[in-house]
Amino acid sequence: MVYIASWDEFVDRSVQIFRADPESTRYVMKYRHCDGKLVLKVTDNKECLKFKTDQAQEAKKMEKLNNIFFTLMARGPDVDLSEVTGKEQMETQPAKKGRGRKQ
Amino acid sequence: QVLLQLDPFLNELTSMFEKSKEKGSVWVTLKRSSLKSKVQKRKLSSAGESIEYRCLIRATDGKKTVSTSVGAKDHQRFQASYATILKAHMTALKKRERKDRKKSTEAEKKEGTSTTKSKKL
Repeated sequence: MVYIASWDEFVDRSVQIFRADPESTRYVMKYRHCDGKLVLKVTDNKECLKFKTDQAQEAKKMEKLNNIFFTLMARGPDVDLSEVTGKEQMETQPAKKGRGRKQ
Repeated sequence: QVLLQLDPFLNELTSMFEKSKEKGSVWVTLKRSSLKSKVQKRKLSSAGESIEYRCLIRATDGKKTVSTSVGAKDHQRFQASYATILKAHMTALKKRERKDRKKSTEAEKKEGTSTTKSKKL
């Protein structure tokens, strides 16, 4: 049981664990209002990653991870996550623009 | 186990947050599931049928447990409602106000009687 200090590392490794074993992996969130603490856990019953925080801004980051897991779990481990992670950054690929109408 | 529809589940989740403000925890677990037993899965795959997976969501406050599941079509609507509930109830987390950092420590020392609201121009 390891507490990961870096949020990005926690996210990357969590997605890896899930993709390696989508049947066994679960994502747990525990919130204690009285202590103002939030703990996240991702485990496949072999490896266990945890992240803890008391910061509101990390809860905002968690929202994205929640969406990632909802998408992975509802649609499947092979789903392209750029939809989910790229939602807030709509600058990257303007897929709606037509191809090659240069005049 | 209690498998609810999405909206009743969200209501129960809200209620759990409200009840555990003074003490206690709320746990929410996400797991991929086909909601089928091993026997059913074996039958489906041997019949050449694909197994539909859902995202199983379980919430507990240590006393009561409720669950629901979302599929590829409804997870986005659920995500939005779920995020709203979390935002509304996870209010005990610390907000980092960089500007007021000095002020907040001073306020703590002064036992926070008067509001130290000086406007910086």
